Amino acid sequence: MKEIDARGLACPAPVLQTKAALQEDKPDGLRVVLDNAASQQNVQRFLESQGFETVLEQDGDDYWVSATCRSDRVQEPRPSPEKETDARKIMVLCATDRMGFGDDALGLKLMVNFLRTLKEMGPDLCRLVFVNNGVKLTIEGSEVLEDLRQYEKDGLKIMVCGTCLDHFDILAKKQVGETTNMLDIITAMQVADKVISI
Amino acid sequence: MVGLDRADDAGVYRVSDDLALIQTVDFFTPIVDDPYWFGQIAAANALSDVYAMGGTPKTAMNLVAFPVKQMDLSVLRQIIQGGLDKLTEAGVVLIGGHSIEDKELKYGLSVTGFVHPSRVLTKKNLRPGDRLVLTKPIGTGIINTAIKAGMASAELTDRVTRLMAALNRDAAGVMSHFDVSACTDVTGFGLLGHLAEMVSGSGAGVRVFADQVPVIAEALEFAAMGLIPAGAYKNREFRESMVTFADTVERTRQDVLFDPQTSGGLLICVSAAHAVGIIAALKDSGIGDAADIGEILDGPQEKIWVL
Repeated sequence: MKEIDARGLACPAPVLQTKAALQEDKPDGLRVVLDNAASQQNVQRFLESQGFETVLEQDGDDYWVSATCRSDRVQEPRPSPEKETDARKIMVLCATDRMGFGDDALGLKLMVNFLRTLKEMGPDLCRLVFVNNGVKLTIEGSEVLEDLRQYEKDGLKIMVCGTCLDHFDILAKKQVGETTNMLDIITAMQVADKVISI
Repeated sequence: MVGLDRADDAGVYRVSDDLALIQTVDFFTPIVDDPYWFGQIAAANALSDVYAMGGTPKTAMNLVAFPVKQMDLSVLRQIIQGGLDKLTEAGVVLIGGHSIEDKELKYGLSVTGFVHPSRVLTKKNLRPGDRLVLTKPIGTGIINTAIKAGMASAELTDRVTRLMAALNRDAAGVMSHFDVSACTDVTGFGLLGHLAEMVSGSGAGVRVFADQVPVIAEALEFAAMGLIPAGAYKNREFRESMVTFADTVERTRQDVLFDPQTSGGLLICVSAAHAVGIIAALKDSGIGDAADIGEILDGPQEKIWVL
């Protein structure tokens, strides 16, 4: 076990020495020897505040503080959940109503399955954008309409290309999502950390 | 009137029926890095004893120990300028001083003030039923330890430096208009240490409400990390037998209550009828941290209860 000799040092030097040892080696345990009660209590407190269990032994004028890592010790501070959502923003761009090439019936089935399973991304998913043939998934009669409505209700922003709806002449049939333009789509790409294109 | 046998904040000598002289001396090693602020804090600290006795400081003399071979004289000039500026703020005249060469830098002042003999306030006149009022937040010893450890922010360092350099003059001015029975200033023994001095031999006890004591918030965090000056442990050891803590007072708060202060606030015993009034008046004078922190009890004697 790592040992630190902090004898002959005045507060706060023993705490700083202990802190430095923890930062350098990230040990599971260590022993600190001190020669005064104030430093001993300070070092013991510091170690306890850092998630260690401590045991004190006295040997003549020396104090030995032994520290072992508590089992419930959090090694690294966890980022707050809010930061987690901030840290990863995924935009999914669907430019087709079929997944992959080859069999169209299979492609449609896969697409339905893909959109239903997409919720497993959790809060990382921040934008779902439909362009070209993809917009057909947002109109009446779409197999995933209910799923998309649920996403929208859960707070996911769904964007549907207005030019595409217009091109297929299905603008009036759109049932879910916000009709959008290319500038909005590009801005959405820019603020996203990751864009997945289908 | 007040001498060595009384161990008060300052000595008091009656000159005539309507004039008494207050004399005090205080010096220490640097507690902040900036020499100008160190000078100011040392002066505010030395003047504080006169304010705590109910007096008005009039003249002062510098005491300097300076390592002239190791340190540039400009450092000394800044310290003395800081002290002088603080004296000027307090309306006190610097009339001399003495300096010696020393390995370790020390600075302080001897201060002389006036008081009417009937208006002298000491630590030893506790009246059961009185309230205890504190005029500055505590925790400067712990914060200074954190500053030495490089763990305090610049903002906190600045805030605490200004707190230590703040004169107790305005608090003393307010105090003179109220029914005050005893007063001291909180310094090296910590709040409970100074309170123990007041209670000793008084025949009274004291109840302190820990969560009403104004505390620099960061001091509690640093105390939990073991950044506590050795003096706090000594203060505790010395007075532990007089103090009883309720279970609800966590250890870090107990430590802050024993934390040695530099140029701390006044600890005032005021009649219960005047407690609300003195706090309102202190706040009106810009002493926003002033708080009613406890009360004087009939008994048990010489005991401090911290709830």
